[in-house]
Amino acid sequence: MARALRFYGKKRGNRRTDSRQFGRWGELLFFCVLLVVGIGGAAATLLTVVLPEWRVNHDFAAHRCRVLDARLAKKESDDGVVYRPEVLIEYTLDGRSYQTWTFDIAGAYTADRAAQEARLAAFVVDRQEPREYPCWYDPLDPSVVVVVRGYSWWLWPLSVVWGAFLLTGFGGLVYTGLHWGRSVEHRAVLAQRVSPGTLLGNGHAGGEFPFVPSDSDITNSPGTHLKYRLPIGNSPGWVLMAALIAAAVWNTVVAVMAVVAVRGLLRGSPDWPLVVFLIPSAAIGLGLLAWFVRELLVTGAIGPTLVEISDHPLRPGGCYDLFVLQPGRLTFQQIAVSLVCQEDATYRQGTNTRTESCEVVRQELLRREQVALQAGAPLQVQCQFVVPESSMHSFKAPHNSISWKIVVEGSAVGWPQYRRTFHVVVVPRQRSRAT
Amino acid sequence: MSEAAVIIRLDRPSRVYEPGDVLSCEFFVEGLHACMVKSVEVSVLWHTQGKGEEDLAVHQFHQFSAEDASCCDPLNPQQFRTVLPNSPLSYRGRIIDIRWCVRVRVFLHRGREVVGEQAFQLGSSPRVAAPVPAAATVSAS
Repeated sequence: MARALRFYGKKRGNRRTDSRQFGRWGELLFFCVLLVVGIGGAAATLLTVVLPEWRVNHDFAAHRCRVLDARLAKKESDDGVVYRPEVLIEYTLDGRSYQTWTFDIAGAYTADRAAQEARLAAFVVDRQEPREYPCWYDPLDPSVVVVVRGYSWWLWPLSVVWGAFLLTGFGGLVYTGLHWGRSVEHRAVLAQRVSPGTLLGNGHAGGEFPFVPSDSDITNSPGTHLKYRLPIGNSPGWVLMAALIAAAVWNTVVAVMAVVAVRGLLRGSPDWPLVVFLIPSAAIGLGLLAWFVRELLVTGAIGPTLVEISDHPLRPGGCYDLFVLQPGRLTFQQIAVSLVCQEDATYRQGTNTRTESCEVVRQELLRREQVALQAGAPLQVQCQFVVPESSMHSFKAPHNSISWKIVVEGSAVGWPQYRRTFHVVVVPRQRSRAT
Repeated sequence: MSEAAVIIRLDRPSRVYEPGDVLSCEFFVEGLHACMVKSVEVSVLWHTQGKGEEDLAVHQFHQFSAEDASCCDPLNPQQFRTVLPNSPLSYRGRIIDIRWCVRVRVFLHRGREVVGEQAFQLGSSPRVAAPVPAAATVSAS
């Protein structure tokens, strides 16, 4: 039985309990409003400013006028008092004399009084002997006249605003129209057609193994001992850089606050809340500094890890050679190399995006105890391993993924545990057809 | 009036297929008059289940309306076949499941619809190994 229309409901990511029908109509109304606002604003700007200014610059006839008076007109608005310049001019056309207050065709008021006074100062008022200035009148209505031509600069940002409304409204209506009344499968097919590189097309295979990540960035780097050198997943250089930036930014802020606090103390008017706030902030700053120094020492003492593999991509049941080279200047209690398969699921919770990870396969490939690394004598080990026969292949979709990686981990007395990962791709095994 | 239902029958009772196999199925709608049906959509698709947001991709999609002269009466048994892709294989993991199915969606007048679904297995169903001691981790952004 169909449920009554729900106007609101619980939401976790895309899983909603509210009415889809109500949501669709709400979406349609929202984009309609945006489109109407965009059309209305653009039309109003076009009719009241753009077209009149264009006519002034192209259709209005040049003439001469005498300036009798000048003033700064002002009025109250939501932003306070706003101003615009006005001059009283007199001109004669076809034997008829005209006298009017005017300036430009836009007649826009602004709060910048000084700027408007500067524009007005270009016209000198001499009541004894009024000076002549150029003016431009409308041939269709000679009483419409201006003493300043040109285009308003603020039309450009205003056009961007109306353009954003129009694009969002129009694009949203097209999106809503394409999805209106379509099933989730039909929408998925449309999305797959738009982005065939990431999704499988409607019955057309997107590569040999759809939704298995490409290994092009792995097989483009040849190894020196084995066929391919694997790219590192989490480079220690980036961690070091992150530690440096975090420590530098945080401690700069703390230093500025410390200067303000010390000046207050020296003046005899200490800002106690600031001093109290400064103590934990300084402690955090020292912690970040210690993190940076530790990462610096780890990076310098352990050195880059090289991992090479005999073939790629991997297949369940396949046997492969692995070579690991680890330079450094430390004595490790142990170094272990493992083949790991991990599931990652991403979901939204409120405004947060969370990723839950879970290791589902961990196969230790080799382990060395009490390894003393010295400069010029790195650890070099080679081993063979078999990808578990019944394991799942690599998989990547927008919110869920299954990834395989070689993990090198080590621990030394007085040093933090280090861990470096190297991604590999496992494709489905080839079936043995009896046909 | 009895409850309307979509009946989907696959050509293999075991409902297990290998990549590259041809999947054939037959479907029909019970409990409806032909005049009540506006259109029918048939999809062969996979979708994820588990902790994450659902991902869904359609491998094969057919849509036909009751007025379409080129198609048959959707209330009579219809045949449908497709060659299955190499991946992704069906999977039951810890926090991610990948499930393949044939889904038939029958659109009726006044916005109502009837959906039928028949799951099948693609591949030899890789399973996760024995539990790994490391606990699941959650990171937020």
